[in-house]
Amino acid sequence: MPVSPYCTIGPFFPASFVEGHDDLTNYRGGTARGQHIALSGRVLQEGGDPTRNTILEIWQPDADGIFRHACDPRSSQADPGFAGWGRARTDAEGWYKIRTVVPGSYAAEDGSPRCPHANLMILAIGLTHRLVTTVFFADDPDAVRDPVLDCVDVVVRRRLFAKRENAGEYRFDLILRGESETPFFLD
Amino acid sequence: MSRRYDPYDDRTQLARYIDRYPLSFKRTPLAPLVPRPLTLTERTGPAELDQRFQTGLMDLSKVAEDAPRATGQLIQISGRVTDEDGSPLAGAAIEIWQANSAGKYIHDADRHPAPIDPNFTGEGRLMTDAEGQFQFFSIKPGAYPVLESGWWWRPPHIHFSILGRSWMDRFVTQIFFPGEPLNETDLLLNAVPDRDVRERLIFQFEGTTMTEGASAGEVNAMQFRRDFVLRGRRRTPELD
Repeated sequence: MPVSPYCTIGPFFPASFVEGHDDLTNYRGGTARGQHIALSGRVLQEGGDPTRNTILEIWQPDADGIFRHACDPRSSQADPGFAGWGRARTDAEGWYKIRTVVPGSYAAEDGSPRCPHANLMILAIGLTHRLVTTVFFADDPDAVRDPVLDCVDVVVRRRLFAKRENAGEYRFDLILRGESETPFFLD
Repeated sequence: MSRRYDPYDDRTQLARYIDRYPLSFKRTPLAPLVPRPLTLTERTGPAELDQRFQTGLMDLSKVAEDAPRATGQLIQISGRVTDEDGSPLAGAAIEIWQANSAGKYIHDADRHPAPIDPNFTGEGRLMTDAEGQFQFFSIKPGAYPVLESGWWWRPPHIHFSILGRSWMDRFVTQIFFPGEPLNETDLLLNAVPDRDVRERLIFQFEGTTMTEGASAGEVNAMQFRRDFVLRGRRRTPELD
C-alpha cells in the first residue's frame, strides 16, 4: 500500500504538545543514570536567519547505550529514569534547549561500536517533509568511525558533532540551508 | 522482528519546493540528502507514549464532559493506521490539532483577528486500538488567511501527528475536507504530483449520524474517514 503523504507541521503546533517534553533526564518519577547535559543550539535558515517556532524531536539510547524498545535485545536493562524521546520548540532567536544524558555507545549489527549519538528531527513551516540528522558526541571527531557517520562526506562530517562548551553543556546548531549547511539524511 | 523501511518515494509525497511558498526555498537543504544504513537508533522509537500522553481525549468539541458544545458543525473523524503491508499499528500515538469554526487556532503565533471559542479545545491526543483504529469528535474547522501571503486562504483542514513504532515511521500531515472550493487553490494540497496522492490528503465523507455519547442529547454529526499508511513492512524471508 502506498504510504500517506507527509505535509508541513505548520505554525500552530500546540504548546501543550511540547511542554514537559524537553527534559529527558526525569521519567516517571525516576532520575536518569549517567552524565546529565544541556544540549542547545540554534536552528537557522538560508542567510543565517533564525527559524522561530520550529519543532525539534530527539531520540537516543540511555547512558548505557540501551533503548527501551522491543527491537533492543537489552531492552529489559534500559534505564527506567530516562525518557529516550523528547521535543522542543525554537524561540524567536531560533534557540532550542533539551536536557538529556550523554548517550552510551552500543554495538552495531557488524559488532563495531557506534559512536555516542542522538537522532534529531526538524519539523517546521516551509518543510513539507521532516528533516532528519544525527548529532555525535566525541572528544576527537577525526578519530571516530561509525557506520552512519562514515556515509557523510569527510569535508562536512565535523558539522555533526556537538561542541562541548562548559561542563555539562553541549552546543549543536542546525543550519537547514546555505553555507555550513548541516548534513541531513535521506528519509 | 527486523523490518524494512524503504526511503519515501517522491511520487507519493508533496514537492519540497513550492512556488509562492517562500519558506520552502529558505529551509530545504541544498545538499543532497545522505543515504545511510538503518541502525538500532532508527529501528527503535518511543514505545510507552500512552503513559506520557494524555489519552482518551476523544472529543475536541467540549472542554469538559458536561460543558456546552463549541460553535460549529459537529464532526466525527475515524480511521485506521497501518503499515505498508496493511498490518494495523496498535498503540500508535496520534496528536491532532486544528482551527475552530471561525478559523482561529489557540496559539500565540496566530494573528488572524477571529474569535477564540472558549468551548473548543482545538487539540487532542489519542492511541490507536488493537486494530489500529482511532475515532474522535470535533468541530469542522473554518478557513483562515495566511496573513503574510496577502492572498492565500487555507481551506479547512485538520493536522495529524503520528508516532508509530520507530524513528522511521514518525509521520505528520494535514487532512482536508472534500468538495471545499478553497481546495483548488491551496498551495500545499496542490503540491502533489497526481490525483491519487491528493485524494490521500482528503477525508472521505461517510454520511451523517445521530450520535450518542458525545453529549447529553442526541446530535447530528458529519462523519469523515481517513486511513493512514505509515512506512514499514515485513522483511521478505530471503532478506532475513
